[in-house]
Amino acid sequence: MKAFLPKDQLPLLLDALGERIEVIAPVSTDAGPAFVTWHGQPIDLKDKPLSPITEFLLPHKEALFTYIQEAGRYTFKEEEIPSRLLFGIRPCDLHAIALLDRIFGREPPDQAYFRRRRATALVVQNCTSPGKECFCAGLEAGPEAKDPCDLQLTDIGDGFLCQAETPAGILILNASRALLQPALPGHLQERTKLLQKARRAMPQDRSCSQIRQAMESADWEALGRECISCGGCSFVCPVCHCFNILDLGVPDGQRLRCRDSCMFSGFSRLTGGANPRRTQGQRLRHWYQEKFDVIPQITGLPGCVGCGRCHLTCPAAINRVDLSVASRLMDDSSEARR
Amino acid sequence: MEKVISTCIYCGCGCGLLLHVDGGRIVGASPSLTHPMSRGSLCIKGWLAADFVGHPDRLRSPLIRQGDLLIKSTWDEALALTAASLRSIQKEFGPQALGILTSAKGTNEENYLLMKMARVALGTNNVDHVARLCHAPTVAALGFALGSGAMTGSISSLQSSDAILVVGSNTTEQHPLVASYILRARSRGAKLIVVDPRKTRLAELADLWLSPRQGTDVAWINCLLNIIVKQDLADMQFIKERTYGFVETLHTASAYTAEKAEEISGIPAADLVKAASIFGLAGRGAIVYAMGVTQHFRGTDIVQALANLALVTGNVGRVGTGVYPLRGHQNVQGACDMGALPNVLSGYQQVSSPQVRAKFAEAWGGQLPCEPGLTALEMLWAAESGSLKGLIIVGENPVLSYPHTSRVQKALNELEFLAVCDIFPTETTALADVVLPAACFAEKNGTFTSTERRVQRIRKAVDPPGEARAEMEWICDLTRRLGAIAEYSSPGDVMDEIASLTPIYGGISYERLGPEGLQWPCPTKDHPGTGILHASSFPHGRARLRPVLYLDPPETPDADYPFMLTTGRSMYHFHTGTMTRRTSLLDREVPTPFVEINPEDARLMDIRDGTKVRVETRRGSVSVEARLAEGVSKGDLFLPFHFSEAPANALTAQCLDPVSKIAELKVSAARLKKEAP
Repeated sequence: MKAFLPKDQLPLLLDALGERIEVIAPVSTDAGPAFVTWHGQPIDLKDKPLSPITEFLLPHKEALFTYIQEAGRYTFKEEEIPSRLLFGIRPCDLHAIALLDRIFGREPPDQAYFRRRRATALVVQNCTSPGKECFCAGLEAGPEAKDPCDLQLTDIGDGFLCQAETPAGILILNASRALLQPALPGHLQERTKLLQKARRAMPQDRSCSQIRQAMESADWEALGRECISCGGCSFVCPVCHCFNILDLGVPDGQRLRCRDSCMFSGFSRLTGGANPRRTQGQRLRHWYQEKFDVIPQITGLPGCVGCGRCHLTCPAAINRVDLSVASRLMDDSSEARR
Repeated sequence: MEKVISTCIYCGCGCGLLLHVDGGRIVGASPSLTHPMSRGSLCIKGWLAADFVGHPDRLRSPLIRQGDLLIKSTWDEALALTAASLRSIQKEFGPQALGILTSAKGTNEENYLLMKMARVALGTNNVDHVARLCHAPTVAALGFALGSGAMTGSISSLQSSDAILVVGSNTTEQHPLVASYILRARSRGAKLIVVDPRKTRLAELADLWLSPRQGTDVAWINCLLNIIVKQDLADMQFIKERTYGFVETLHTASAYTAEKAEEISGIPAADLVKAASIFGLAGRGAIVYAMGVTQHFRGTDIVQALANLALVTGNVGRVGTGVYPLRGHQNVQGACDMGALPNVLSGYQQVSSPQVRAKFAEAWGGQLPCEPGLTALEMLWAAESGSLKGLIIVGENPVLSYPHTSRVQKALNELEFLAVCDIFPTETTALADVVLPAACFAEKNGTFTSTERRVQRIRKAVDPPGEARAEMEWICDLTRRLGAIAEYSSPGDVMDEIASLTPIYGGISYERLGPEGLQWPCPTKDHPGTGILHASSFPHGRARLRPVLYLDPPETPDADYPFMLTTGRSMYHFHTGTMTRRTSLLDREVPTPFVEINPEDARLMDIRDGTKVRVETRRGSVSVEARLAEGVSKGDLFLPFHFSEAPANALTAQCLDPVSKIAELKVSAARLKKEAP
C-alpha cells in the first residue's frame, strides 16, 4: 500500500500514532538529535542521532528479571516490555536490526531480545541526504531500506511517499487515512531519482573488501597507541551487541544485562590474568575482525552497516574507515563534527 | 525513554552528555553532539557515568550513631541532632571549634550554601575542600602571578598550539578529551613535549619525553627559562610591557645551567636544550599540567616556575597559548569559585577585607568572621589535638583520599561530633555520628564549573533513592535551624544570589546557561563570557614573575627505603572508587590494587607480574600485587589510591607546602618486600 503524506501533516500522524503506542522518534535537542519518546517535540529527520535505535531492542542496561528471597526460597519476576513504534529510523539501522535478528535468532534464540523485538514496529526513513560520515551504499545497507520493516517513508520534497510493507504498516496508514493523499507515479519516480543521487553522493571506495584490505595493511599497534580505550565505537555501533551479565543486590536484586565492548582489556582477560588480546592494537583489530570476518561467517552479511557513527564519536586521530592515522588528521580541521 | 542533557560527574573536562531515562531509571548515557568539549565523544568513564546511580548500595535514609551502630532515622531527628551538637560545641568552645569540608563533586549552589552556612551560621571560616589536595598551589601561584588562579585559555584552543609542554599529567588517561585536543594539535604539526617520570601513553606519542627525578621540577623548569633567555628566544616586548620581576627571576634561574639541571633532575642536558628551543621557538606555546606538578611540598613554587616560563615566552592571552591546569574533579573549579576556601568568599573575594565582609553581611543578614580559617589538613590536625570539635564533611572520603590514613582516622575519631553526607557508605561515613543520604548528579538540578571555567547545568533525570535528598534542601534546613536565613525556591534562585555577590559570575543565570554554558569572567547579563583570559591586561595590571629556588624533596631514597614511591590514579577509577568500583565495566578493568614497578627492578627482586608484595614507607605499609611496567623508571614505584583494601595514603608523607598547604603526595621513600604466597 502506498500513499503520500504532506510534510505539515507529519506531527498529526505522530499524534495519531502516539495515542495508540509509545512512539520513539528522532527529536531535535540542545545536544543534537536523539531518539526519545515523542510528545510533540520538534522532529529532526535530517541529522542522524549518535545513539543508534538498537538501544531500544538491546538496552544499555536491562533488568532481565528481579529476584526476591523469602524464607529461603527465591521467586523471579520479569519486567513488562513496552510496545513501541520506532519512527524515522535509517536504512542502516534497519539493516543492523536485520543482522541482530540473525545473530540473536540462532539456536537457542535470545528470548530477552525477541520479547522486545516482537513488541516493536519499525517505520524507516530512506536517506535522501546522507551525512558526511556515511558509507552505507558500499555495504549494501542503504540509502534505501531493503530489509523488512512495517512502513517506509521517503522525503520527496513537499511530503513523504509512504510504503506499507506489513499488516502493521497498513494499519498505521489506515489509522491516519484522513491525513494522506493518494500516491502518484511521479512520487515514485522522484523517490528513485533522489535515492540514486544519495547513493552517488556517498564515497564509492568503502566496500567490505576495501575495508578488509585496509585491515590487512593497518599498523594496529600504531592505531592502538592513538586509541584512548573509551569504548565509544562499540557503544554507538548499531551492530555491536556484546553484553555482560551481573547480579546486583543481595539477597534481593536484579539480574542485569549491560552492554560491553571488546575494546576493554577486561573483556578478554582470563581469570588467571592472562589476556589473549593484550594490547589496545590487538583489541582494535579484533573489533574489525568481528565485523568483517566473524559476523559474515555467522550471518552471511558484513557486520558493519556504514553508518559512520564510530568515526563521529572516536576522540582519537584514527580514521575508522581506512584505518590510517594520518589521513584522518588531514581532513580533521575541515571535518564537520557538528 | 527520555534523554536529559547534563554534565559528566568525573574529571574537570566537564563533558556534555545525555542521560537515558527509561521507566524512571537511568539506563545509559551518551555524549552531546553539540557540547564544545565533548562534541560527540566521551571517555570510558563518561560513557558509564550514570551506571552507579541506581546501585543498591546507595544510602537511602539518614543514620544516627548509637554505640557501634548506625541506626536508621528521620531527617528531622538527624538534622535536630546535628544542629544541637554544633550549637553546643559553638557555645562551649567558640565557632573556631567547628568546620566544614565541602565537596568538589557537589554543585556550585551547594558549595555556596555550605560556605555561607559556615560563615554566618557557624561563625567560622573553617571551610575547605579537596582542592587543598589538588590545585591549591595553582590557585595560589597563578593567582599571584597572573591575577587569576584558573586555566587561562579554553581547552579547544590547545588544538591551535605550535608547541605543547605537558608536565605531570597523564592526560590520555585522566583527562582523555583534553588529550584528544592535544593530539589534534600534534597532527597539525605541533610539537609535543611530555615531562613525566613515567612513560605515559601521551609520552609514547610525544616528540620529546623528559623523565625527571620526582620532586625536581623547579630545577629543570628554571633551566628551560634560563636557556630560552640565553638563546634570545624570550619575548622581551611582552616581558617589558606586561610583567614585573624579570631581572630577579632570571638572576635566580641563570644558576640552573643545563648541566646543573641534569645533575639534579636526571634529564640529559641535551634534551633540556632541545626542549627549550622547541618551546622557545614556538609561535604559540601552551603549558598543560596536573597533579604531578601540584602535589608536592613546594607545589606553589613549581606552578610559579611554569607561569614564569609562559610569561617569559609571551605565551599568555592568545589562542593556542596559556597555562592549562587540568582539574581533577568536575566541579573543583566551582567549589573554589564559590569560596569553599578558608581565606576567600565567592569569586575569590578576601575575607580579610572589611568591604567584602560588609557586602556579604548585608546580603546574608549576620556577622562574618574576619580571620581566615583552617585549611583541610589543618582542620584534621586541630581535631587530632582537640581544638576542633565538630565537623561536617560533604561528599568527601578523607579517610582514603587524604595523606596519612591512620592519622586522619585518629583525628576524625577525636571529634565530638562528625556529620557526613554522601551517596554511598564510605570509610568516612563509618566514623560519623550522623550520616545524611545525598542525591547524586542525576537526581538534582544545579551547575558545575569545568576546568576551563565553563559554568554549565546539570538536570534532574530521576528521583533520589529512598529518603535521600538534594543537599541544597538539608543545607538550607540546617542553616535555618542554626539561626541564619536560607530561603531559596530553587537552585536557580541561589545562582541569582551568587551572581549578585560575585563579580566574575555577575552575568550568569540559569536562563542564560544554554548547551555551551558560559565561561567566567562573565560580569554582566549581556557579557558573552570569556574564553581566553589576560588578552590585553592582567587583573592586577601586570603579571608577576617571581624567582623560585629548587629544594630537595623532604624524603629521598636511602639504604632503608631505596625506592621512590609516587601515587596517582588509574584511568578506570576515580578517587576512592566510591562510584567507579560500583560500575561493573570499570571495576572489571582494574578489580584489584596494584603497584607498578620497573621490570628490571622486579627481576632483581625475583618479582613477577602478580607477585604479592608489601610496600612500606616510614608511615605505613600496604599489601598489593606487583605489576611490571616499562613506563616506570628504575627505582620508582607507582601506586594508585582508589583502593580501601590497600590505601595508598597509608604511605604518603604529610609535609605541607608552606603557601598552599598541599601535602607532599607524590614523593615518599619506600621499600618493597615479597610476601609469602
